Amino acid sequence: MLSRQRAAQLVVVVVLVGVVLATAEDRKEFRFKVRKGASISVVNQYGPISVKAGARKEVLVTAILHSDKVEIDQGQSGSRITLLSHLLPGADATSGQVEYQIVVPADASVTLHSTTGPLHVEKLHGDVILESNTANVDLRDLADGHVHVKTLNGLVTLTNIVDGHVEITSLGGDVMLNAVSGPLVEVNSSSGRINYDGDFGGEGEYSLTSHTGDIEATAPGDASIDVTARSEQGKVISDFSLQPKHTSFPIRAGSAFAGTMGKAASSVRLFSFSGKIHLKKRQTN
Amino acid sequence: MTDARKLKSDKLSEADAIERAKLGDPLAFEALYNLHKRRVYSLCLRMTANTAAAEDLTQEAFLQLFRKIGTFRGESAFSTWLHRMAVNVVLMQLRKKNLPVVPIDETLETEEDAPKKELGGLDLNLAGSIDRMQLQRVIEALPPGYRTIFVLHDVEGYEHNEIADMVGCSIGNSKSQLHKARMKLRELLKTSRAEKAAKP
Amino acid sequence: MTCAEFEQALPDASEGNREFEHEQHLRSCSACRSLVADLNAISQQARALQDCGDPSPRVWNSIEIALTREGIIRQPSRGELASVHRFPSRWSSAWLLPVAAALLVTAGVVRYERGPGQRVMPNAPTTTAQVASMRPEPSPDDRQLIESVALRSPAMKASYEANLQDVNSYIRDAEQSVKNNPNDEAAQQYLSNAYEQREMVYEMAEERSLP
Repeated sequence: MLSRQRAAQLVVVVVLVGVVLATAEDRKEFRFKVRKGASISVVNQYGPISVKAGARKEVLVTAILHSDKVEIDQGQSGSRITLLSHLLPGADATSGQVEYQIVVPADASVTLHSTTGPLHVEKLHGDVILESNTANVDLRDLADGHVHVKTLNGLVTLTNIVDGHVEITSLGGDVMLNAVSGPLVEVNSSSGRINYDGDFGGEGEYSLTSHTGDIEATAPGDASIDVTARSEQGKVISDFSLQPKHTSFPIRAGSAFAGTMGKAASSVRLFSFSGKIHLKKRQTN
Repeated sequence: MTDARKLKSDKLSEADAIERAKLGDPLAFEALYNLHKRRVYSLCLRMTANTAAAEDLTQEAFLQLFRKIGTFRGESAFSTWLHRMAVNVVLMQLRKKNLPVVPIDETLETEEDAPKKELGGLDLNLAGSIDRMQLQRVIEALPPGYRTIFVLHDVEGYEHNEIADMVGCSIGNSKSQLHKARMKLRELLKTSRAEKAAKP
Repeated sequence: MTCAEFEQALPDASEGNREFEHEQHLRSCSACRSLVADLNAISQQARALQDCGDPSPRVWNSIEIALTREGIIRQPSRGELASVHRFPSRWSSAWLLPVAAALLVTAGVVRYERGPGQRVMPNAPTTTAQVASMRPEPSPDDRQLIESVALRSPAMKASYEANLQDVNSYIRDAEQSVKNNPNDEAAQQYLSNAYEQREMVYEMAEERSLP
């Protein structure tokens, strides 16, 4: 008898909690049928957006709205999906928050805009275009597409991005590139640090430029690169012995170095106005 | 003699204009712009079929080029460099607008867009009698993905391997979509001609 | 070979990879012959298409304004312009010595004429420390932007003020660098990047990047 009463009380509590949660947060699901090469655009001022590859011919969206001060405008035109978190009067960064979890076909292209984020995309080979104000950006396991990231102050982390065109513009956010290679990798930072750890492969063009942010690039001892590094006011260090090459500017020791390694397959430019530049050799075990 | 007249009367060579532009000479920039604006604009217009967009993209292509003019060393022809930059600017814009850059093999296109499979089709032979104005009009009517490949290959003369690299598709895909674009144009031209012939 | 099979092989065949089978089919099938002739005609006419005319004058106006604002368009000195015509584009070392000597003599003459106690030569590089210490007030455009951000999202105002200071500082340093070394690739890259950053701040603030 006692245990039944206990069980009944527990059920009541659970139901009450559920009701409370249900009124505070609203969970919505959307399903869109798409064909190859779908594109998804999400504008969500407050809250995280996570996009992963999974479904073959559909886009699955799960959205958790934190209050009734925000609603989702969704639309579809062919295989083009748009989602907009529409803030109602009185919404703020807390009440206006929406959390998105989206599953898309692997060849889909994705465009995400957010102020606070964070933004996460993985395992796609379509184009990925992200814009963030302070949102942290985390991209991993992408291949073949164009990856464009613009951020004012969010931390940008790219991991295992291959064979694509990567362009990142960051004002104050640090940019961390791990195993990123392809025909083009370009980072334009102002005060954010740039940290590259990879092989500068793919016979690509790598350009890491900053105003005051330090640049640290780590490459293997057998990297095949044609590298130029310059800083107007910061220190420039290389762990490598480079084959010297002709340059159109004077090489001042400690402020610049230029040379080649191996077959010089990839072009690497490390420019900083006043940040420190260090080209490090990866330690092998 | 003012600089402007000197520039014109000297028939400033492109090479001189480039060197002067590197020094910031405004007339040199204008000369380079005038030399190449028509070709760049035509490319942008053909790929977008929209004059306002084409003008914006022309502006962007030249801006990008002039910002980097200091790095031009003459390894390739200036016009080639500019042209490639213009193509990339257009492709980037198409991507941003989520318009298909790589035309999709499976029928993303509607029934209306896909070329009809009428072999031999209408009884009007096109060969030797294609009106250029008409061709220009039907190119504009192509779906964006087809139009991109067709303009890059047949109008601008890029090879399939170059197109594949720029657009991000396979060489096979580029060939297949070029063929479909031509088939679609054929259908549009024949329909247009049949409509004209049917008018009293 | 059927017409359907022939058409399927056309994308490769039209690139000059026509096999014997295809040639045979073409000889025997007038419909496919007509198709191939039409497609070839379309391709040939496409190459001969005329240019589409000129863009409107506003395009050049906008380019000129942007380049002037970024300091890429500026009036070079007569000496710089003259050198484009007189000297080969790749300087040989034979030219360097007399030019260097002439510059040294000129520098010496100017210094002698100025005398002691006068400030440095007009084209001497200014250090960035001097530049940084002369931090100017925000421009009218920047002030307007900050006001508009403050109206929309008061919490973001301080952040945008800091962002604009950051980016304007970059522009100042880059402009000084270009002024000191007009032909330096790195200096031009900094300036281009700095303006790109500023454009990004404006876009984000005005939410122009949003669809």
